[in-house]
Amino acid sequence: MRAFVVSLLTLFTLALAHTPFAAAAEKIHVVTTIPDLADMTRRIAGDLVDVTSLATGVEDIHAVPMKPSFALLLNRADILVLLGLEAEHAFLPGLLEAARNPRVLRDAPGYIDCSVYVTPLEIPTRIDRSLGDQHPMGNPHINLDPVLGKDMARAIADGLTRNYPEHAAVFKKNLDDFTAELDAAIARWQREAAPLKGKKLVSYHPDLLYFAERYGMIPAGTIEIRAGVDPTPGHIAELEETMRRDHVDLVVRERHYPANLAATVAEATGAKLVELPVMVGGVPEAKDYISFIDYNLHTMLKAVQGG
Amino acid sequence: MASHSFRGRVALVALATLFVLAPRAFAEDPSVTDLKRELQAMKRQMQQMQETIRKQEEAINKISAGRPAATAEPAPQGAAPAATAAEEERVKDEIAAKVARELQPRLAALNKTFPSQFNPAIGLVMDNVFSSKDHERANFEFRSAELGISANIDPFIRGYAILNGTPDGIDVEEAAIVTTSLPYNLTVKGGRFFADFGRLSHQHDHNLPFVNRPLVLDRFVGGESQGDGVEVSWLAPLPQYVTLTAGWYNKIGAENDRADNGAPRDFSKFTYLGRVASFLNFNDDNNVELGGSYAYTPKIDIEDRNERHLVGADLTYRYTPLSQASYRGLVWGTEFLFNREDRPVGGFPAEPTVEPLVFKRRDAVGLYTYLEARLTRRYYPGFLFDYVQDVDGVEPSTRAYSPYFTIWLSEFQRLRLQYTYLDAPTNHESQFFVQWSIALGSHVHGFGDR
Repeated sequence: MRAFVVSLLTLFTLALAHTPFAAAAEKIHVVTTIPDLADMTRRIAGDLVDVTSLATGVEDIHAVPMKPSFALLLNRADILVLLGLEAEHAFLPGLLEAARNPRVLRDAPGYIDCSVYVTPLEIPTRIDRSLGDQHPMGNPHINLDPVLGKDMARAIADGLTRNYPEHAAVFKKNLDDFTAELDAAIARWQREAAPLKGKKLVSYHPDLLYFAERYGMIPAGTIEIRAGVDPTPGHIAELEETMRRDHVDLVVRERHYPANLAATVAEATGAKLVELPVMVGGVPEAKDYISFIDYNLHTMLKAVQGG
Repeated sequence: MASHSFRGRVALVALATLFVLAPRAFAEDPSVTDLKRELQAMKRQMQQMQETIRKQEEAINKISAGRPAATAEPAPQGAAPAATAAEEERVKDEIAAKVARELQPRLAALNKTFPSQFNPAIGLVMDNVFSSKDHERANFEFRSAELGISANIDPFIRGYAILNGTPDGIDVEEAAIVTTSLPYNLTVKGGRFFADFGRLSHQHDHNLPFVNRPLVLDRFVGGESQGDGVEVSWLAPLPQYVTLTAGWYNKIGAENDRADNGAPRDFSKFTYLGRVASFLNFNDDNNVELGGSYAYTPKIDIEDRNERHLVGADLTYRYTPLSQASYRGLVWGTEFLFNREDRPVGGFPAEPTVEPLVFKRRDAVGLYTYLEARLTRRYYPGFLFDYVQDVDGVEPSTRAYSPYFTIWLSEFQRLRLQYTYLDAPTNHESQFFVQWSIALGSHVHGFGDR
């Protein structure tokens, strides 16, 4: 018993001795929820920041594991950058509760919500669990639309400026450079995406809404019964029937969803199966935000053009 | 062009008039439904006005067609459209400013007139169990309806309460105040709450991975680790995740009958707790949580002289493949407890006796270990093993073997089937359980629910 108490006290003393209060801030410590935001933050703040993303990019953003080590990262963070619209509801509130860092709590200056300049789609007119795992503020998968990516980058730059006005000029210049690069890519993507216009798609979860809207595609249902609710055989039969009737072109499997069912649905309906990441890092080719959108668009085009 | 410009101007003026008049259209009670209705009414008014404007334009055009061309001095070429555009812009700005001036107080009032926005988050969990045992009759047991309420209170604290309705009545299971912004990584919790002892004793019944609380937690802790008191927890500023908790309570354990929770007591009769917990991340997919807990009561009420030591060690291993976190996974959880206290030789007599009880120091151990797999988003099979010794040291130990199968019909509805073979000193029996639990209303994925 005594040994237990002694070891507790020893640990306590060691921890105190190790406190890195003074050694703190040469760099601004930023934690982002997803790698897309980490890439944008690096582009905007350059060497001023040290950025860590909680998700690696292969996860479902609604099911990122709540690891205690993430609470530790958030405890040390000066800035938290998140996608917003409650996309991170499954893990971020719990982690913030454990992180004990008032600087990055909701609505604190260090809490940068990237959805603030976005007009969301699919804002529910009725909040009811019979309609699935609803997002009361609208569909949160804004990062799949590069035009909204510009709004997200602006929210990051504004948030960083709010916290570090002394670096405002750097943030503005870097944001302008990034936006210019993104604008050029957006113009190219707009030209390249012409064959996607009017194509109908079914995805596993409503992740593709903003992407489809941007390039004139038509969302025609989801494999899930409702967002977040696994399909039943009856739903799949009904979906397949509708897909055949409406000549749906594509079945999109977001890569964190099971492969078999999406393949079966595609095969049964004659639609092409497309497998897409939903974040930077979801596939090795999606190294940064621009290559992520490049990958998604080209994969979709390849499927539509029969490549 | 002129006609377009004129039509535009008339429409804008009409719009402005509409917005000037619009305040009257807003109901005194600006609920969302009312506002929607008002908007619909405004749309209809707008359509009517557009129709009127169209008719007036037709009349003007007819009249204009019969007149000779204007004789005013012609403006320089290009200046007229520019002037018109500038004028249009000016009118637009004016209207925008006017609309903003008219709308802003109403929008502000709208926010102010929803005091319910300050209502706390409210959720209800219902837990029902059907049981059938060899030596007991079958039963539909309404276990509980737990009302959870939580909200931030001010910039410094939050509060939550769990009110539990059971067949025995309504009980305040938890009602606690928690700090949110103390410096030095400290958190203080006070009130009635589940003490931070071990891994599963501070989980509510419906949150357990199986139907029943492990035997060792029931016997040694006394069910849920409920305590009235105060707890301080500290996240150590180390590269490794380490938390230390110190607690001070009337007693720990909702069903721990060693002390009366309501009675005032000497300092020696409180229970004091220390806990250390850590986390090791082997790689992205594999990790382990470790914890050690120690609850010390210098004197327990029974004989006014007995001290009690309760020590626990817990381990939780998780395999969670990141790209399939909702569909695949494995959890192995184990908790070992050691209890030392003076107990009456031969146990407590069933009836009060005049003979003085003879006490002797008794050590007892117990553990549970379970393995649970995640096969899909719905199906979670698992197996639980229980072992516990008698704290009085009178009877032989008890064992239980429980395969179970959890089906998550949705995120908020769960069915669980469990078979338990109970191997107790005086009872060897098979037990079957079907549990049906739901959560409605607000839900938060708390850190403790991971």
